Amino acid sequence: MEGSVPASYQEVFRTDKGVVYQCDKTNRLILSFWGSHTPLSARDFAQFRRMVETVNIHQMALSTDAADDVEILTLPRSERCYVLTLCEVIHLRELLSGANLMLELNSMLRECGCATLSGNV
Amino acid sequence: MKDLERLRTLIKEPVELVLNQQIQMELVSSSKYLAMAGWCDRNGYDHSAGFFYKQSEEEREHAMKLFHYLCDQGAIAYTPEIPAVPQEFDGLRSVFETVLEQEITVTDSINRIIGVCRREGDYATEELMKWYVKEQVEEEYIARRCLELIDQIPADQIYYLDKKLASVTYDENPFDEA
Ligand SMILES: [Fe+2]
Repeated sequence: MEGSVPASYQEVFRTDKGVVYQCDKTNRLILSFWGSHTPLSARDFAQFRRMVETVNIHQMALSTDAADDVEILTLPRSERCYVLTLCEVIHLRELLSGANLMLELNSMLRECGCATLSGNV
Repeated sequence: MKDLERLRTLIKEPVELVLNQQIQMELVSSSKYLAMAGWCDRNGYDHSAGFFYKQSEEEREHAMKLFHYLCDQGAIAYTPEIPAVPQEFDGLRSVFETVLEQEITVTDSINRIIGVCRREGDYATEELMKWYVKEQVEEEYIARRCLELIDQIPADQIYYLDKKLASVTYDENPFDEA
């Protein structure tokens, strides 16, 4: 599904449903989910993560309304959107929050003057 | 690996979150003061009305200062939702009691933000918040002084009271640089 990725992509976090890479050449985070690679700036990535975090999954789970079966999330400043079922929202959450944890760890290492993380370089 | 989030902004997410909440609080204050201005205006307290119109503008400026700071530093500032605020009051005293309560809520919130700044090691935002700390000392002083005046001035001297209330300032603020 992923095939080969450019050499400049460093893996930040991986689940069995997707991967988040970072590209230091273009300063982008690349969300690889549902078979597509989406490069996002740090700001758009943070905004999208918050969008995914604030999806009302209880309503999705409990409501019988057809409109609540899927959640449509538009990626910031992109034509692309995800139409996600409850399970997929949870998978995406897991991927994005895991990636965020690794990015925070990288920040902490930089702040205390330690060497930052290096991915699969 | 580069720290992309740090390249984007110097403000960390927990600080960004509380600053956005503060923007909302300042704009709610602005809306509350505007409602008080309207109430004073239609009840004949012209001077107090003027005082609250000005106060409402000031609270908006407090919000905008934070809004610009977030935007300038690469963080995200959200335009908040403003809930309905009370439009009617039992009298001047109840207006000023509400003012004091609101200002205390704001002071507490500013103090909590400084706590977050310290936890996150964000000394720049802490420095900015010091301005708000001083501002709150003044706001609380003025609200308390107005309540004192309401107690001190006989109830039949409403015109005099209204004028006095609108003229309260904090000239001896120890934080003001001379
Ligand atoms: Fe204020």
